[in-house]
Amino acid sequence: MPKISVTIDDKKLDVDVGKTILEICKESGIEILTMCHLKGLTDVGACRLCLVEIEGINKLLSACTTKIAANMIIRTKTEKIKRYQRITSELFFAERNHVCSVCVANGKCDLQKLGYKTEMDHIRYPYLFPECNVDTSHPWYVLDHNRCIMCTRCVRACGEVEGAHNWNVMNRGYQVRVISDFDTPWGESVTCTSCGKCVHACPTGAIWPKAIVQGQLEKKPEIIAELIEKRKMNL
Amino acid sequence: MKTNTLSTDVELAKTDPRIKLITAKIKKENYKPDALIEILHTAQNAYGYLPMSVLKFITKALHLPPSRVYSTVTFYHFFSLKSKGEHTCLVCTGTACYVKGAQLILNEIEKQFALKPGQVTADNKLGVSVARCIGACGLAPAVVLDEEVHAKVSAEEIVNSINAKIAV
Repeated sequence: MPKISVTIDDKKLDVDVGKTILEICKESGIEILTMCHLKGLTDVGACRLCLVEIEGINKLLSACTTKIAANMIIRTKTEKIKRYQRITSELFFAERNHVCSVCVANGKCDLQKLGYKTEMDHIRYPYLFPECNVDTSHPWYVLDHNRCIMCTRCVRACGEVEGAHNWNVMNRGYQVRVISDFDTPWGESVTCTSCGKCVHACPTGAIWPKAIVQGQLEKKPEIIAELIEKRKMNL
Repeated sequence: MKTNTLSTDVELAKTDPRIKLITAKIKKENYKPDALIEILHTAQNAYGYLPMSVLKFITKALHLPPSRVYSTVTFYHFFSLKSKGEHTCLVCTGTACYVKGAQLILNEIEKQFALKPGQVTADNKLGVSVARCIGACGLAPAVVLDEEVHAKVSAEEIVNSINAKIAV
């Protein structure tokens, strides 16, 4: 495979062509914060956490959707990027009703970890306090819109890996909600196969199996990528 | 637990002549799932809004996931899931119309028909909505009654015109 040379955080690297900046950074051990990225799923650049500075380009670009090109000079840890990441995580928390102390994912939540990583100690924006439903109609799983951050990992896992297309996103702006079928209760969905991939794909406590108490949630988001690998094998 | 709600509604819709229009459009588009928006346009024009049974019909005909259709419908403001009423009354609340008393017209409509902007009467006869400037500031205050512009109207006049429309 042809190689090109790029500079990331003042480090010279020889990398493969055709990969995204995020893939290259992960391979070379450069940490980039992500939320909507999940190995195995198509990247959509929704969370804006993986923004990087590229010399010669005025705006910040998302690392997960930008392909690497020859002689790129990329910076991932400038003051500007850190400031933006902090703003993004604050906006995540301000948008819905995130209360860690009563959440099943407490201690194992990607959003909570993000708050620690960006050293968020308070939120400078007014909370929206939207009215959100909790859908408990499914016999095994629960969907709590209060904890959803609209990363659409469940939507992509359901469509791309399971092929059921149970999930999608309705409305726009701050009124967006994840829906199953025609905004029908999850338990009455005709497309859901109850496979549970969305449960593992969800980075927060928005989708979780029933009969789990506070802080006891165990998720394995890596199974999505493992499944895809296993399907490629000729067993 | 799971019942296929899709099949029953489609039978219900087949007796409707408007569904033929949609079927013709779907055939013209060769059952392509990417023609969803065009087909929804046809449906919205035929019905004035998008009833659930029609959405289910389109979903089944195009072999699309229901959630895809629903997300498309809710994303675009042009599509509506609720009936806008047999007769529509659009009151312009742009700056010029507002200064000339659009609010008085709205107040009078609310008093006479118990309707706030965005609402439809219980018998589905009349729907009231507002717009931020319809581009007819010289005619202020302007009201659009069933796609017919009424210029420089008073609250009384518009209530009388609405009553005439509903009576028919």
